[in-house]
Amino acid sequence: MGRIVGSVLLAVILSMTSWALAQDTIKIGVVGPRTGPAAATGKAFEEGIAIALDHINAKGGVLGKKLEVVFEDTGGVPEKAASAFEKLATRDKVPIVVGESHSSSALAEIEVANRYKVPFIICEAWHDDITKKNYRWVFRAGPVNSGVVDFYIAPFVKENGFKKVAIVRENSDWGAGIAERTEYNMKNFGLPFVTLKVERESKDFYTELTKLKGENPDIILAYIYGTGLHFFVAQANEVGLSPKSLILDGAGPPSLWDSFWKNVGKAGDLELFISSMHEKVHLTPTSRKFWEDYKKKFGKDPSDYKTRSIYNVVLIAADAINRAKSTNNEAIVEALEKTNLEVTTGIVKFGLKQGSYEYHQWMPPMLVVQWQDQKQVVVFPKEAATGELKRGR
Amino acid sequence: MAEFLMYFTNGLVIGVINAISAIGVSLIVGIMRVINFAHGELYIFAGYFSYHLSLTFGLSPILAMPLSVFFIFLIGILMERLLIRPTYGDEMYSLIITFVLSIVLQNSALLIFGPYPNKPPALISGSTQIFGLFHYGNQRLLSFGISIGILLFVFYLIKKTWFGKSVRAISQDREMASLMGIDHWRINMISFGLGAALAGSAGVIIAPIFPVTPTGSSAISLTAFVVVVLGGMGSLKGCVVGGLILGILENLGAAYVSTMYRHIFAFIILILVLVFRPWGLFGQKT
Repeated sequence: MGRIVGSVLLAVILSMTSWALAQDTIKIGVVGPRTGPAAATGKAFEEGIAIALDHINAKGGVLGKKLEVVFEDTGGVPEKAASAFEKLATRDKVPIVVGESHSSSALAEIEVANRYKVPFIICEAWHDDITKKNYRWVFRAGPVNSGVVDFYIAPFVKENGFKKVAIVRENSDWGAGIAERTEYNMKNFGLPFVTLKVERESKDFYTELTKLKGENPDIILAYIYGTGLHFFVAQANEVGLSPKSLILDGAGPPSLWDSFWKNVGKAGDLELFISSMHEKVHLTPTSRKFWEDYKKKFGKDPSDYKTRSIYNVVLIAADAINRAKSTNNEAIVEALEKTNLEVTTGIVKFGLKQGSYEYHQWMPPMLVVQWQDQKQVVVFPKEAATGELKRGR
Repeated sequence: MAEFLMYFTNGLVIGVINAISAIGVSLIVGIMRVINFAHGELYIFAGYFSYHLSLTFGLSPILAMPLSVFFIFLIGILMERLLIRPTYGDEMYSLIITFVLSIVLQNSALLIFGPYPNKPPALISGSTQIFGLFHYGNQRLLSFGISIGILLFVFYLIKKTWFGKSVRAISQDREMASLMGIDHWRINMISFGLGAALAGSAGVIIAPIFPVTPTGSSAISLTAFVVVVLGGMGSLKGCVVGGLILGILENLGAAYVSTMYRHIFAFIILILVLVFRPWGLFGQKT
């Protein structure tokens, strides 16, 4: 008898504590690759989330409660990504999910978001279709392929007078989308180009690079996301293709990972990459605050710009829940549509006109940066440039 | 012509690398009738050992490489003694055990070493111009040389030494070999260790070119199995020929057909071999 009373008491106490805990925090979901070829992005996300949570909770949290994050690993694999999202929606019952940096994974996740009606803010998956599908629950506060190519990569190629362009793209949704948009722009400019498709998981690019050498391009637009880019850059130097032909990393972060210089050695000099962050470029006060908070917490300068992208979307999500005054999905979407929030890369306002990729889309300004003696030099756009583009010999 | 030679050379180099990675699998299959699914993990661990011994502990890479292989040899011996030995006589059990072990090892690598690719220091940098036709990475040429050295050593060991003779005796008829006074328990243990060490040497030789990641191990095992099936289970000669066919075919296929489907050529060949010659190019028809 005593045992039964005891266990009933225990059950009551347990349920009460879990109820009390549930009342004290609000949990939002994050999806991103913590393993696989872009595992470093998961690490960048973790850092950005930590600073965002400190920032938000220091200011009183969300709806008067502490904000917490449940981070599910996608491994960069669409099937895993979809089930990760489903776990967040059903097991954790989070009111909103943010994150992602692989288009293939995001395209799988938005279907789940749409099915469970969970608001989802993507920060770093660039494929046009993600917002072009015009799902009510899906937002993106980050780069989109068409924007990156039309406003940055293509004008950069044109203004610097490159004569022959090589497009190397991985066999992923992001790779296919961004390469297609680049080809479209090059055709409009009348610039000769060749496109080479490569495998995303490939380690050996000698054959591909030898083919490219025959084409003699003066700029190679490398759309390879992950450590594959390191192999590509190192091997391009070994076969004598670069730095005579400059390489532009069309994603960016792989050129910023700690392992970059270890993997490419001297071959990394003069390599170019896309970024939305530079030590000397601060567009808003939040950007400076982020930089200082990061340095205080981790004792070094931030390097991967995706740390800042995830920081931004966590801020946007917290702001929306606060304005919605509830964790109701409909209320959050309505609040998101009215977002007018300063983040590190500008003031976020989502597009509301349906029919194109601009629906629920906001894109931060980007930069083209070049490694010059292991220093980051912004070379495009002109108004943000901190130095001149150096050409290969 | 220069381009074709480049593709061919690269195929040859990758082929030899394939062979050394596969020969460990083949050795264990041939002698013990055990398929070691944890092969790729041993390779990965060796790569990480060599990385940490040289970068974290500051050992010279020339010392770090053999030392890592030795560690893997010990792990192999331990594996055989604790996990494989109780399963002799039932191939299914050893299959399941090595499969489970591969998952355990892969996740421990993730836990211990983190998810990032790591690259031990290269022994040599830069590239060499070959016949004045094309540039080829020096580290690759060096790895090619070392791999050939290891292949020759394995062939010598199996074909010419007393140890090799007893190994071959056991693979032909275990009972008869035991009756002739060969300690088959010991030979098995050492052979398994040797197979593991071969996976390890592939790891330390290749990691400076293609860094290791915990999740990369399944692809390594898969390539090794394709080579072994192609060449014929248990045949060392088959491993070399299979590895070379795979390497050259992939590179020529990527060059002249499509770069996006480079791995498909290997599997087409594998299917053809399985349909028309299921015992492999050099295997024994049973």
